[in-house]
Amino acid sequence: MHSIWAVATNTIRQALRMKVALIFTILLLVLLPVMALSMPGDGTIKGRLQTFVSYGLSLTSLLLCLLTIVVSIFSLTNDIKQRQIFTVLTKPIRRFQLLLGKLLGVVLLDVALLLIFSAIIYAITVYTPRYLEAGEDELASLNNEFFTARTSLTPPKINVTQDVNDTYNRLKETGQLLPGSSRDEVIYVLTLRKELEKRAVPVGRELVWQFQNVKPLDPNQSLFIRFKYDVSVTPPDLNIHSRWVVGDDRQIKYGTEMKTPIYTFDRKDFIRTFHEIEVPADAVAEDNYLAVGFFNPPLNNTVVIFPPDDGLEVLYKADSFTANFIKAALLILLRLIFLACLGTLAASFLSFPVAVLFCLMIFLTGTISGFVLESFDVMSKNLTGIYSYTIRPIVQLLPQFDKWNPTKFLVPARLLSWPLLAKVAGLMVCVKAILVLLLALLIFTYREIAKVII
Amino acid sequence: MEYAVETFSLTKIFPDWWGREKVYAVDDLNLQVQYNEVFGLLGPNGSGKTTTLKLLLNLLYPTKGKALVLGGDSTDPQISARIGFMPEESYLYRYLNARETLDFYGRIFGLPAKVRKMRTEALLDMVGLKAVANRPVGTFSKGMARRIGLAQALINDPDLLILDEPTTGLDPIGTRQIKDLILELAKRGKTVLLCSHLLADVEDVCDRIAILYGGKIQSEGKVRELLQQTHKTQITTGSISDTAIEKIKQIVRNEQDDCVITSPMDKLETFFIKTVASAREQAQPTSGVVSDGTYISDFLTAGHAEKSRRAEILDKLVSAPVSPPASSEPPTTEHPTLVETSEPEPDEELLEKLTRQSKPAEPKHIVKPQPVESEVLQPEQLKKNVLDQLTDNPTPQNQQTDQTDKSQTGGSSDA
Repeated sequence: MHSIWAVATNTIRQALRMKVALIFTILLLVLLPVMALSMPGDGTIKGRLQTFVSYGLSLTSLLLCLLTIVVSIFSLTNDIKQRQIFTVLTKPIRRFQLLLGKLLGVVLLDVALLLIFSAIIYAITVYTPRYLEAGEDELASLNNEFFTARTSLTPPKINVTQDVNDTYNRLKETGQLLPGSSRDEVIYVLTLRKELEKRAVPVGRELVWQFQNVKPLDPNQSLFIRFKYDVSVTPPDLNIHSRWVVGDDRQIKYGTEMKTPIYTFDRKDFIRTFHEIEVPADAVAEDNYLAVGFFNPPLNNTVVIFPPDDGLEVLYKADSFTANFIKAALLILLRLIFLACLGTLAASFLSFPVAVLFCLMIFLTGTISGFVLESFDVMSKNLTGIYSYTIRPIVQLLPQFDKWNPTKFLVPARLLSWPLLAKVAGLMVCVKAILVLLLALLIFTYREIAKVII
Repeated sequence: MEYAVETFSLTKIFPDWWGREKVYAVDDLNLQVQYNEVFGLLGPNGSGKTTTLKLLLNLLYPTKGKALVLGGDSTDPQISARIGFMPEESYLYRYLNARETLDFYGRIFGLPAKVRKMRTEALLDMVGLKAVANRPVGTFSKGMARRIGLAQALINDPDLLILDEPTTGLDPIGTRQIKDLILELAKRGKTVLLCSHLLADVEDVCDRIAILYGGKIQSEGKVRELLQQTHKTQITTGSISDTAIEKIKQIVRNEQDDCVITSPMDKLETFFIKTVASAREQAQPTSGVVSDGTYISDFLTAGHAEKSRRAEILDKLVSAPVSPPASSEPPTTEHPTLVETSEPEPDEELLEKLTRQSKPAEPKHIVKPQPVESEVLQPEQLKKNVLDQLTDNPTPQNQQTDQTDKSQTGGSSDA
């Protein structure tokens, strides 16, 4: 252990004294305050803070990622190139200890830098509203929609398979199927249609979503219904009239005594943008049940469609902004640990420029992993089994930086829960990073350190 | 555990890009280095010396064969904790200063902080870099870097010292100092394996040598046996009268042989050291290494009191000192106990020279706290007691007598 620690501290010293870390640090120290001052966002304080947090964290993350890649690779390849490794490896230190020491050094450096910069971003974010003159309303909306960590419930996906099969069989029996179309094609079209039906509300009709497990921290707080409209016919003023009913609808259905209030809202909202309705949290029933009803009044003259995935959500506060921010920073740390392992792997068998290039490629692919994975899935449909058993697993090993982007949680004030963080840690560090590290140890243990000099 | 280093048909073939065998860097090498021996690996450039060392240290893997170092594999921490290695050039972390460099290596060994600090200071003292200990080693000259390279090899008090071209990049004084140190360590029971193509160096310090060519041992044996001209006899005397010379010639003629009589020449090395010593005497300023020359040879050649003090540094750094705890040994005025060079005659002169310039040798007792001064002219004052503090096992009696023998005969090669 002492040898690992000796190497780790030496690595940190190297990064600091060779001014690699210094450059990145100064860059961030200058850029962060400048960004705080120069980014107006959409004009509101909330918009301003959202922009700052989003860009600040992204920039910190990007620069630290680059720093991690460079330092973790430089530290090892430079030792090999300048041959300091000759004097180190002939001391009582195993090769894996050397690698772990370097890795530990890089990770510790990352932790320290991340701590500093996220503290700066946090401080700027929290103190900005105090120095800007903000109205009551603005502050309230800031507290409800930004300085919080809200969990979101989306309506469960309704399984339409049975319905689709029934319809298909009926069409087949009655001979209404189009000649020349295969079963798969018909099923596909029918599924789309049925799913759309579940999200669409014709004029004069209503749609009710039922949520279980609604657990706000405090019944005196508010719930938020967040929604977005799509329409079949665009209204001339781009507005949709609506009536929303929120509460425990079983009380009406079964005529029991009213225990929890039911709230009704008549609204008029723009189409195709997100809106939020604030509802007192006491609308939730004792067994954590909540129903949300939407009525499409005849005033509208169009079918209202709620887009899939984020068409309708129930949001409520589940944690504090601070806790969420810390978890977001941890998310960045996980990313850095993975990159440090990757850098170590690359450095164990490549020279500095090649290794950096290799890691940057993986890093960039990781930041667009969603797109890459999707493309491979689409491609592999038409390809052989060999292909999907060789390339696909490797592609799956790519880190998914875009999927676990911290700003995705902080900007809309979404809760980043501990279980989710643990899952990311398990996937990105415990599985992928460890695999990468094991490979690095294996290569480094069995390679010859000295060059061919005769 | 018969040999300190032993190789069995050690072979290293460097393949070309296509994996075809291309160069036999080391070819079926069977090498045995005994314990407590200074072994020299000689050979022209590219003969496989360095490759052999790298194979021993597992920086390269043998194509065939096996190498045992201290009876085991050199990657085993138990074994490598007893090895000191100085590579052909000092590859150092440029951003660390001299003290941090040694401290870093000490920490890899897991030495406790106290021991580490003591050894670091003692070694800096010994290699004469104390005055520049806080300078980044990236700014060091080649010679200074070599000294740090040597110090790091000694940080763990190794039983086996592997030196790759130990004297390259050093000035004659530094070269001389390294050679003296090697002999000192050998006297303290260490094994030294060195490779070099500087024949003079090897000749001066090695007990046994092997000459490599094309990765194969061409010749091997004791230096004395290989080089001694048994059919010739040399007589060295002081300046004598012509009549005496004539008489000697007559005697030789009676033996049916002829003889040549000349005045012996100083070695250039000796002359150089003399010149520098006199320059130092006049306190001429030098840039850079203030402590150049304040090294082991200094404390071997200075006044007797300083001499025994300096031996203490070595004693402190080395676990098996030549003499029983040096602090208990009264500095006698008669025995130059530590004078140990292969060229006794010119060295006598050097000794005299350096002695004159040093402070009057007060036979004061030596248990001094370790000084941290960096005076140009009296760095010799510092050394001695450093080694003793590091000494953990007192010297066995026989070693002491052995040492006394050596110093009396002035021989260097009977290990």
